[in-house]
Amino acid sequence: MAGIYVHIPFCKAKCRYCDFASFPDKITFAESYMACVYREMALRKDDLKDYEFDTLYIGGGTPSVVDESYIGMLVAAAKKNFNLKKDAEITIEINPGTISAGKIDLYEKCGINRYSVGLQTAIDSQLKELGRIHTLNEFITCAKLLKGRNFNADVMIGLKDQTADDVLKTIEVAAAFGASHISMYALTPEEGTPIYTDYLNGELPDSDEVAALYEAGVKKLKELGFNRYEVSNFAKKGRESRHNLNYWRRGEYIGFGVSASSCINNIRFTNTFDLDEYFKCILSGHLPIIDREEVDAEGQKEELIMLALRTSEGIPLEKYKRLFGSDFREEFAPAIKKMSEYVEFSENNFRIKDEYLFVQNSIIIEFLSV
Amino acid sequence: MGKKQNIRNFCIIAHIDHGKSTLADRLMECTGQVSERDMEAQLLDSMDIERERGITIKLAPVRMFYKADDGEEYELNLIDTPGHVDFTYEVSRSLAACEGAILIVDATQGVEAQTLANVYLAIENNLEILPVINKIDLASARPEEAKKEIEEVIGLDASYAPLVSAKEGINIREVLEDVVKYFPAPGGDADAPLKALIFDSYYDNYKGVILFVRIMDGSVKAGDRIKTFRAEKIYDVVETGTFNPALTPKDGLSAGEVGYIAASIKSIQDVAVGDTVINADNPAAEPLPGYKKVQSVVFCGIYPLDGSKFNDLKDAIMKLQLNDASLIFEPDTSVALGFGFRCGFLGLLHMEIIQERIEREFGLDIITTAPSVSYKVIKTNGEELFVDNPSHLPPASEIERMEEPIVKADIYSPPDYLGQIMDLCREKRGTFLQMTYLDKSRVQLEYNLPLNEIIFDFFDSIKSRTRGYASFDYEIIGYKPSKLVKMDILLNGEVCDALSMIVHEDSAYTRGRTLCENLKDAIPRQLFEVPVQAAIGGKIIARETVKAMRKDVLAKCYGGDITRKKKLLEKQKEGKKRMRQIGNVEVPSEVFMQILKTNKD
Repeated sequence: MAGIYVHIPFCKAKCRYCDFASFPDKITFAESYMACVYREMALRKDDLKDYEFDTLYIGGGTPSVVDESYIGMLVAAAKKNFNLKKDAEITIEINPGTISAGKIDLYEKCGINRYSVGLQTAIDSQLKELGRIHTLNEFITCAKLLKGRNFNADVMIGLKDQTADDVLKTIEVAAAFGASHISMYALTPEEGTPIYTDYLNGELPDSDEVAALYEAGVKKLKELGFNRYEVSNFAKKGRESRHNLNYWRRGEYIGFGVSASSCINNIRFTNTFDLDEYFKCILSGHLPIIDREEVDAEGQKEELIMLALRTSEGIPLEKYKRLFGSDFREEFAPAIKKMSEYVEFSENNFRIKDEYLFVQNSIIIEFLSV
Repeated sequence: MGKKQNIRNFCIIAHIDHGKSTLADRLMECTGQVSERDMEAQLLDSMDIERERGITIKLAPVRMFYKADDGEEYELNLIDTPGHVDFTYEVSRSLAACEGAILIVDATQGVEAQTLANVYLAIENNLEILPVINKIDLASARPEEAKKEIEEVIGLDASYAPLVSAKEGINIREVLEDVVKYFPAPGGDADAPLKALIFDSYYDNYKGVILFVRIMDGSVKAGDRIKTFRAEKIYDVVETGTFNPALTPKDGLSAGEVGYIAASIKSIQDVAVGDTVINADNPAAEPLPGYKKVQSVVFCGIYPLDGSKFNDLKDAIMKLQLNDASLIFEPDTSVALGFGFRCGFLGLLHMEIIQERIEREFGLDIITTAPSVSYKVIKTNGEELFVDNPSHLPPASEIERMEEPIVKADIYSPPDYLGQIMDLCREKRGTFLQMTYLDKSRVQLEYNLPLNEIIFDFFDSIKSRTRGYASFDYEIIGYKPSKLVKMDILLNGEVCDALSMIVHEDSAYTRGRTLCENLKDAIPRQLFEVPVQAAIGGKIIARETVKAMRKDVLAKCYGGDITRKKKLLEKQKEGKKRMRQIGNVEVPSEVFMQILKTNKD
């Protein structure tokens, strides 16, 4: 499996929790930026000519904020430069406040077949508090436009004043309007974001309260027929995100645009976070890489463990043996024993028990050597 | 070599903060020993900790030359003394090397308990005492009252006491004149067999142990064969010299002089402070009086924070012991803390200083267990033993009775705080002895107190309850039977030996509850619920619960940015190195310190 990621660093407004590369005031550069992304793809074309790609993911920022024709050209450029499979999963992240029937039509025409909608919460006051540009009604309008299509709704927990009922309502709305996939993740107050101040002031729910919201959400999702396949990701049968699964299975992927990460041939690299720097590099024909790390066998093991244990399938033991030539059970016998209450073997996999997925860090670090 | 009648050997006695080191620096400056710009605040306090805390731990002598008003040049040997009660023995040794003592009294504070203890020591050693009233530059100075207090409390004539400000350099020369005038020249017979008092020593990497000596009789020079009175080994003197204040070689030392001897001595244990140096080929028949072996009073376990640093810790403690023979240690193991040392100290301050020196001078992070005292245990089979480590206490069924060390404490305070002090002493199981009004603003309270109550937070409590006005001194007077019990702390049902302590039955409940509460807050949440219990024998006397962790997952791996998450996990894993495993509970090493330091007052 291999995937392509494209980062679109533009937004209408920066959300209060946002720690990603996005520049609300630089949307006028969108055209030049997109041109650079096509060019970056061309720069990579030869390196990756032997790869077959299963997924293309257009994330941000808010990809739906740029003119839809650029997105069309982007998908075309990806197809032109790389072997993107016929049945590839092509996802675009959209903000409900930036969408129209025309846009969706064009996305559809250019081959996009999966949408990820940033709902976050169905409570308008909380949307406002987060600095989101949309309302619940706009989400509903958007979801109606996506009716019958494969789409995900993002749901956030751990918001200021959020109750379990708020979380349930959000999930119910998303499900009722047709989402076949729900990402429910806890707000992480990152240093330097406005919401970090709320966190410092103790205005955000503590970890016990977040855990309670999570548990309520998990229960509701299960009732609604969503299967948890990763700690924060829930899908109707067959609607799992192939692109994200590839990350968790430690597959290869190439990223384009500012801040995009890649992992090709056990080398991880990251593009610059600086928009000007990105332009300069691309225009002078250079790759905009700022970080490059070769992952040795030990590192590959650690990554596989830390990523796979996020998922409900866990670590496939045969794959582990094939990759590293050792038996996971034997290699990690002490850690397995120590954690025996929280982990289990199922068929040919090793996984964290459902009820302990939300405290996985403490379990995972037992399997890291450091 | 100066004429003996032109030598003055003296020391300075003062309460902490009363300006001893500052005055010493001024005297050196005034005699041209150092120029003002060379002075790095307070020269004699050479250790960082001393300078920061404004206290003197190690004695550092200095030789000065002073041309007095009578036209004669005098050699003045100043021997600085530690001001703290823990170091009483060291003080008494340096006093024995002198003929006179300058007593500094702070014009704003008057006479304090610790000053008194040292004054009495000086009087016992037949020293001439010159009172000096310091800090007269301060607005709150009340020199006349200070003088009156000296006369009333100590019984010294203070009418001629110089009024000085060491800080501002006022009347320093007057002090030097009085030193020459009032302090007697040293006695002793230069032709008699050598008798030199060791009043301090330290280990030099190149020269071996350097002995700080006062020559009482006879003389010593390079090439002489010497030994100490109480040890058999004979050493060849390599170098003798004086303190300027750095070691300055000088050919030979004779009766009345203060200086050092280097004789390639390898171990500081062989040459105890207080012992007498004699000439191996012409030995004196009698040692100098007053030698005693120092006794450890306070004990604690010291462990490396990082278990793999045991050998580094061992090196550090051994090196410190080279310079401080009063530090004793033996290897110890704890289930919770691994390999470390059980150390004995002269007192609480001494313990703190050693801990700080290990951390600063050797860059080691350490865990120390709760301080303990040495208990006398009388077993049912009649056997008697001393136990300072709670985990070495025999099973309760084998103990007939236990005794604990008792101190006599002198507390000086303005009368306003009497109630608070008496409350505190009552809480600490004190027995009231008597109360004396020294004058209308000062009261002396005498109590017998168990040492084990003092080593916890007595100093801090008495200072906070009297806004720092009270001063306090103590001496150990013996052992007394007491209802002592061993209290264990259990984490998830497992005894954590590093937290066990010996406590009085009556305070066990309160202390157990406080400890459990503190632990509950300090232990990070685990994947499971952790009961924290205090127990005596098999009986649980307090319980708290550390709830199970419910969430620790990090944000989703957005856009395949795995590196950041990996680093977070690695950091978390790294943090586990600083954890100690108690049963299946992981406890960060810092917790052992935090909960011991938490003060409920």
